[in-house]
Amino acid sequence: MHELSICQALLKQVNHVAADAGCEHVEKITIAIGLLAGVEPGLIASAFAVMKSGGCAAQATLIIESVEVRVECAVCGAHSSVTANRLICSACGGYRTRVIAGQELCLLRVELRAPVHAHSLN
Amino acid sequence: MCRNCGCSLTPESPGRVIEVIQDLLAENDRMADHNRAHFDSHGVLAINVMSSPGAGKTALLEATIVALKGSVRIAVIEGDLATDNDAVRIRSHGVPAVQITTGAACHLDAQRVHQALHTLSLATLDLLFIENVGNLVCPATFDLGAHRNVTLLSVTEGDDKPAKYPVIFRASDLVVLSKTDLLDVMDDFDPGRAAAALQGLGGGIPLIGTAVRRAPSIGAWLDWIDAELHGRDGAYRSVPSRKPLSFPPPPRFGV
Repeated sequence: MHELSICQALLKQVNHVAADAGCEHVEKITIAIGLLAGVEPGLIASAFAVMKSGGCAAQATLIIESVEVRVECAVCGAHSSVTANRLICSACGGYRTRVIAGQELCLLRVELRAPVHAHSLN
Repeated sequence: MCRNCGCSLTPESPGRVIEVIQDLLAENDRMADHNRAHFDSHGVLAINVMSSPGAGKTALLEATIVALKGSVRIAVIEGDLATDNDAVRIRSHGVPAVQITTGAACHLDAQRVHQALHTLSLATLDLLFIENVGNLVCPATFDLGAHRNVTLLSVTEGDDKPAKYPVIFRASDLVVLSKTDLLDVMDDFDPGRAAAALQGLGGGIPLIGTAVRRAPSIGAWLDWIDAELHGRDGAYRSVPSRKPLSFPPPPRFGV
């Protein structure tokens, strides 16, 4: 259940973003989770539903974008889409590959709620 | 006043979207880099040892301490949910051990390791083992600041573990097949299948065997440690500091 730790880090970052923008309410949060990140999207969503209460994201929805795993072959240079436990070049079958996508664990964007009483003249 | 541009009217437009693109583990990774800098400044090689519970991490470290006593100055940070049993075992061999009890937490993180470092004298060490919580899932995601990741796979487990838990095995610089002295009674464990599953994770991660009980055999493991400590040319700690295989992740969004 390391997803709790990761959700805690997510909410901390969202709080910073909202505070920097002078906003008290967050509408929507979008994160990316690679299929090789070792993090279960469903558990992040469950943790978020519980942990968001009381903060600026209490009413926010969480969008999770899944990122497929891609490798680059050191031998033939091909890029292939692969499964998380078969990181082999699809073109030549070589195992000397480098993961170029699929490890993402990232806050992408935060959508802030518009102020309700917007006009304030100084 | 509008906090964006300083104008006196706040727009009644829909909510603003702020593009962030920040790693969710950024705080952990900063602390991990800090730990690594500590190790580097004292010339200490730090190795993060991971496996499922009961794969023989502590037993391997005990055998390593006995084998290297007098030539390499070792300390161990022990991570467990509860008890200091493992630290007691390590201390009985005369080397410092710090126990981190994580309570309900299923993994070590860089902050916990940093706190443990405050109770160790790095200046008197060559090699620090960080024995992670027995778990093949959660520890894989957290960089502790170690220079190398080692994952044990015991022959009493399934030989398809690398395919079932690709994240942790792929994050390893070395996989140790432990308890090989039991291979003759573990009919359904095929080291060839384990090697094939590991090779399927790409990168050419090396696999070596160890046994510490009935027919002790840790020569390949000690050779690997020696190479990591001394480098190929034999100069002490000439191996450049680097993060384990999967840290940090490659540039984001290659898709």
